[in-house]
Amino acid sequence: MIRTVVNLDFGTILVDWRMLAKGVAWTLGLTAVSATGGLALGVGCAWARIHGPAWLKAVTGAYVELFRNTPFIVQLFFIFFGLPAAGFRLSPEAASILAMVINLGAYATEIIRAGIEATPRGQVEAALSLALSRMQIFFHVVLPPALRKIWPALVSQIIIVMLGSSVCGQISTEELSFAANLIQSRNFRAFEAFIVAALIYLALSIGLRRLLNWLGPRFLFGD
Amino acid sequence: MVEFTLWDILRNLLLAARWTVGLSLVAFIGGGLVGFALLIARLTPSRGARRLVSFYVQLFQGTPLLIQLFLAYFGLALFGIQTSAWTAAALALTAYTSAFLSEIWFGCVASVPRGQWEAARSLALTFGEQLRHVILPQALNIAIPPTVGFLVQVIKGTALASVIGFVELTKAGGMITNATFRPFTVYAAVALIYFALCYPISLTARALERTLHAAHR
Amino acid sequence: MQVSRRSFSIGFAAVLSVFAAAEATGQTALDGIVRNKVARIAIPTDFPPYGFVGSDMQPQGLDIDMARLIAGKLGATVELIPVTTANRIPYLQTKKADLVISTLGKNPDREKVIDFTVAYSPFFIGVFASKATELKGPDALAGKSVAVTRGSVDDTELTKVAPASVEIRRFEDNNATISAFVAGQTQAVATSAQVAAAMITKNPQLGAEYKFLLKDSPNFVGVGKGEDALRAKLNEIILAAKADGTLEALSRKWLGRSTGDLPE
Repeated sequence: MIRTVVNLDFGTILVDWRMLAKGVAWTLGLTAVSATGGLALGVGCAWARIHGPAWLKAVTGAYVELFRNTPFIVQLFFIFFGLPAAGFRLSPEAASILAMVINLGAYATEIIRAGIEATPRGQVEAALSLALSRMQIFFHVVLPPALRKIWPALVSQIIIVMLGSSVCGQISTEELSFAANLIQSRNFRAFEAFIVAALIYLALSIGLRRLLNWLGPRFLFGD
Repeated sequence: MVEFTLWDILRNLLLAARWTVGLSLVAFIGGGLVGFALLIARLTPSRGARRLVSFYVQLFQGTPLLIQLFLAYFGLALFGIQTSAWTAAALALTAYTSAFLSEIWFGCVASVPRGQWEAARSLALTFGEQLRHVILPQALNIAIPPTVGFLVQVIKGTALASVIGFVELTKAGGMITNATFRPFTVYAAVALIYFALCYPISLTARALERTLHAAHR
Repeated sequence: MQVSRRSFSIGFAAVLSVFAAAEATGQTALDGIVRNKVARIAIPTDFPPYGFVGSDMQPQGLDIDMARLIAGKLGATVELIPVTTANRIPYLQTKKADLVISTLGKNPDREKVIDFTVAYSPFFIGVFASKATELKGPDALAGKSVAVTRGSVDDTELTKVAPASVEIRRFEDNNATISAFVAGQTQAVATSAQVAAAMITKNPQLGAEYKFLLKDSPNFVGVGKGEDALRAKLNEIILAAKADGTLEALSRKWLGRSTGDLPE
């Protein structure tokens, strides 16, 4: 029997903490921008799917189905590698953000629409009798209770998108998993690098859930 | 250099899609079995088992599938467990699927009114009997639509197996892109094949949900 | 497989050691190959003409021919394992492959973790860009974006000579690196001269050309650290193939040039 020794050395990973910190910053930055953009897109498309003209309903419906039924990595590759052939070129970071916004937008549309449809009609009728415009009713009467109802589902979706951003490293966006990959390609400590990355992601997703649960009621649908 | 016709591209992508389907089925069935075991563990009165399952679910829902795949592939090997890209991908996707399914199913069981548990207990049924005869049949109805819906997530998840070198649909797309230099066509075709796989399942899940809601009204 | 001792210590350099007893069967990679009559060889599929797929999706190229040659001389059938530049070395470290024949260059960092045989084929790493881009040497890269494959010798060399203002874009595998440059996502690309030649022939619209040499970095076969028996056997095979002109013929067939002087 030969004895092989597997030494796990986390020190060699943590020495590169600057690279990891930069990766965390990019991951959080991508998530913040795409969460904001994705939510806005989701609200807009949810409105379009309920109140828009028939053609707009069809367009947003196709958008939602197309992006919910294809993998994020393929969407990202198509935007980054495929679209330049059609004359539309984006930097890796811009392509990452665009892919994340569009992806989150598709899911957010369906979540928000479900929330709106679950809102009792009586409230809208009451608002109409107060002579509010359709827009005012949507943003002040319909949207806040809908968002409150579906906020936990949206928070989960935002976290899924943050974890999904790990794929953006494949097109050279320097987020957290890119940092882990770069470190392991230099010191050949693959296992340690990914363990460290996994723990950081875990901390980020727990922290982000707390933050969003705190933010939502205060700023989006004031309780 | 080799020349690829459009038909060559499509044919090779469709052949590779067989692996996407195979991997999805293995992960979905394996994940379903493990997920069910986790669900039972979480329903038992044992606090330790409940905590352990919550931790497991938290771990797999709180880290990227991409990193889980890397760890399954290179991590297990360091401990002397040899895995091919296929087994590593199947293992990681099974673990990932089981965490999500057990969470979905736990939600379904929780939506069965408490009174049902109490009624079952009052009939002097054991824990196993309460589950088998009273709770699970009711939860099952509610569970089917989201479970079918999650299959779409599993299929899309298999695309990440490409990064550990498993040649499924996405990886084949990358390889063909490099041989043809036609990324627009290739990735559009890849996306369409995924859509053709996933959309019917999404529609089925939605139809099931509608039937369920109609039945409850 | 059993784990007989575990120690865990956490500090700045947290080190976890697992002393695992290797399987009683298969002490060395060479024993394994001889017993199973199968050589598991890691090869590229994203690196024409060294390794790429045809329209039947089967790997072909110089490294694949080399793998078949070596497996034949070892009296084994070949099991080709497609790898990427970034994960070649983990494959050896984790014993997922017995040997790596995948445009592997030698450098001191790598020599710490794996062993190398003598060289078997030439490899020149250069920087390529459009004719319109003025690029006389590394300094001229300042302020430009360059695509390179992460964890390759190309990456190491480029990082070494590039001025700080170069925007180095690192991709997971050679497929992605080349695709990014062809898609116009970067102004230049650092890769093998042969890979670039294939790319330029296929994409005349790019007007890309060779700019300057980064490194003359011949390819070696990689084996696991301490696999001395296998390494000695492979050296014997490679040197014989060099002496009888097989290596020269392979180089002419796939690269269209002589092997030149290969280091031993």
